[in-house]
Amino acid sequence: MGMLAGVIGVVTLVAVNALFLIWMERKVSAHMQLRPGPMEVGWHGAIQTVADALKLMGKELITPKDVDRWVYLAAPIVVFLPVLLSFLVIPFSQSLVIRDMNVGVLLILAFAALTVLAVLMAGWASNNKYSVFGAIRSVAQNIAYEIPLLITLMSIIIMVGSLSLVDIVNAQSQYWFVLVQPVAFILYLTCATAETNRAPFDLPEAESELVAGFHTEYSGMRFALFFLAEYTNMFIVAAVATVFFLGGWQGPFLPGIVWFFLKVYFVIFIIMWFRWTFPRVRFDQLITFAWKILIPLAFANLIITAFIMKLR
Amino acid sequence: MLERGLEEKTYVLNLGPQHPSTHGVLRVELEMEGEFIIKADPDIGYGHRGHEHMAENRTYAQFLPNMGRVDYLHALAYNQCYCMGVEKLLELQVPERAEYIRVITAELNRLTSHFLWVGAYLMDLGAFTPFLYCFDDREQVLDLLDYLTGSRLTYCFYRFGGVPVDIDDDFTAGCRKFIQRLRGRWVDYDNLVTKNVIFIHRTRDVGVITQEQCIKYGLTGPMVRGSGIPYDIRKSEPYSAYPAFDFEIPIGERGDVMDRYLVRMREMEQSLRIIEQALDKLPAGPIMAEKIPKRLKPAAGEVYAAVETARGEFGCYIVSAGDTKPYRIKLRVPSFGNLSILPEIAVDTLVADLVAILGSIDVVVPEIDR
Amino acid sequence: MLRDNIQKALAPLQLEQVAVGDYAKTGCHLDATAAPEQMPAVAEALLSLGCFLESLTCLHYPEHFTLVYHFANFQELCRLAVHVKVPFDQEAPSISHIYPGANWYEREAYDLYGIRFTGHPDLRRILLPFDADFHPLLKKFGESPADA
Repeated sequence: MGMLAGVIGVVTLVAVNALFLIWMERKVSAHMQLRPGPMEVGWHGAIQTVADALKLMGKELITPKDVDRWVYLAAPIVVFLPVLLSFLVIPFSQSLVIRDMNVGVLLILAFAALTVLAVLMAGWASNNKYSVFGAIRSVAQNIAYEIPLLITLMSIIIMVGSLSLVDIVNAQSQYWFVLVQPVAFILYLTCATAETNRAPFDLPEAESELVAGFHTEYSGMRFALFFLAEYTNMFIVAAVATVFFLGGWQGPFLPGIVWFFLKVYFVIFIIMWFRWTFPRVRFDQLITFAWKILIPLAFANLIITAFIMKLR
Repeated sequence: MLERGLEEKTYVLNLGPQHPSTHGVLRVELEMEGEFIIKADPDIGYGHRGHEHMAENRTYAQFLPNMGRVDYLHALAYNQCYCMGVEKLLELQVPERAEYIRVITAELNRLTSHFLWVGAYLMDLGAFTPFLYCFDDREQVLDLLDYLTGSRLTYCFYRFGGVPVDIDDDFTAGCRKFIQRLRGRWVDYDNLVTKNVIFIHRTRDVGVITQEQCIKYGLTGPMVRGSGIPYDIRKSEPYSAYPAFDFEIPIGERGDVMDRYLVRMREMEQSLRIIEQALDKLPAGPIMAEKIPKRLKPAAGEVYAAVETARGEFGCYIVSAGDTKPYRIKLRVPSFGNLSILPEIAVDTLVADLVAILGSIDVVVPEIDR
Repeated sequence: MLRDNIQKALAPLQLEQVAVGDYAKTGCHLDATAAPEQMPAVAEALLSLGCFLESLTCLHYPEHFTLVYHFANFQELCRLAVHVKVPFDQEAPSISHIYPGANWYEREAYDLYGIRFTGHPDLRRILLPFDADFHPLLKKFGESPADA
């Protein structure tokens, strides 16, 4: 029964979260660009996203002629499901976790890798050179940035000694890990931005170069699913950051779940801030950055952490 | 048309004609190997409207509005060039106050063109915020020019022999206020764009153009100034009231995309200086020449007039057969020559670099197509 | 002085005419007339002086085409206009191997007038669609009186 309630809760959360995040993105970007953003529909445009979602649902689902039909139709679903399943292990507060597995982190990282497959499916099946381009870039980018992500998280896991997210939060009762592992936090944020295909690492959907990258040929509700997956992915990634570095649901006065959401949305705000400040990196610079800078740094961080843990 | 690469390694990708970064209806046919470009062939002519043909079937005055549509971003300079050419043919003397007004408005127009370029260029590179900053500043200028001329984009403000409307104190005060505000904003642009690490990486040593290429391809404008050649028609071949003003010509060193960007940014500051000096020294007097014939029938002959627009040298070559309609008007547009170098400098670059290079050339496709 | 240098450089080519122009009236410092075959030599001479090709115009007269080349210089102001008369069925030599910038100008002249250039690497239409079968800027002489 609890499991069912949890699943329904998660689905609701995903929907509401996407609505909220899209509105937040538009407002944040607007204010950074000296303009007010959506103001018409609802209080300061709060229901704008609902209006947009309704519009998207009413759009014609155009399937281009020569697409690889089943792959094309499956791609939006494949991109969305793993992200949804990652919610199983996220601890929203000390009692609110659907299933605290002792390999929680592994589950999240494994499912994050599945989204790459979906992007490749979408790009390939669209029968469009621009889409293939975007998909190939995405695969290279995701593979390159997964490695420093993993290594960075491993530094924290060494400190805690467990792969379970609840254990990691509990280990931060004295101090948050961001204080002892600031480099890891910055590394993680960078890799997370790249994993979610957000600017400045949004080459797979680089608007000005590839029209719309891998989702060029998707319209209407299918496009909405990609969008939804991206924002939900952002939430997952920010939740992992909160759990690993910012103490999860811990905090004075307010209930744990409120702290959790505050921290998650703070991290998401930083990710959004990146998007509206930096131009896009070039593809070879992106890969060079990952392999020549991030991975050595992450390894160095891991080795130093291991040393210090051994010395204790 | 390019021949299709018969080996399996290369393929053909079309950039355009509908594309967010080609600044107009331009198609570049790319023969690519992976992400590297082997051959780039621009395909122009999608916007060919036959301006030069129209010129032969209209009187000189009837053709004047066309000039604002050739390059709509710096329309006043094009107006100025055409008026200069016809005034030379008619031997009309433009009063000094009118020349000053022409300079002020043309420089303000140059600012709007450069602002749009900076904003659109950074959007091509993926930075969305500077676009809005630039358009904010651009709106201020457009309001000023709208107050004076009645148009926001495709101006047709000059007449043969002067300008039709005089500037008043409101306009002058608005200009000064705008200049002061803008000077305070350069710091913002520097911090947001010029010192941005990713921007520097995207633009340094990309799309290098040598001085020799400048001569061989007949490039003009910020393209040659970015490569270190101080060629600006306002200084080399002064026209209108420019000899009276003190301003510099910013040049770059390496001829890469970054230098062209810096040249255009610094040019904007120089434009502010010119406008300030023009407002300070504005002489009193008439704004139109005295005896302008009702029926313009210039003597037979030819004239070549050139001005410095935001994109480079715009030349108007008018051949008159002694008739009310010109025999031939050739519009020598800067973007035509500037774009012709793309096939050479695009070889062996990535698509992302191509977008950066194409943006730095600052093409306005309608002027290429005329 | 660049003008004298240009005149000196063009002297051995024995052009039909090289005269100082009235800059205030025509915007050109030097006016020259050349035969079509002499054009590549003229271009080479001017390139060695560092001049660039500013513009290439084609004019359609009742008896012949006239190509007008405008050259200018980055260092010093001196504009040279070279007029070349090309009879109708004759081809003009291309200077695109000397000035690559002339490539597009010559394509444009071909597109709008139908004048062909020998030695041009890729003479095809540039503004009109590739399958157009007319040349738009050709005048229709004798059809209607040209006055206002």
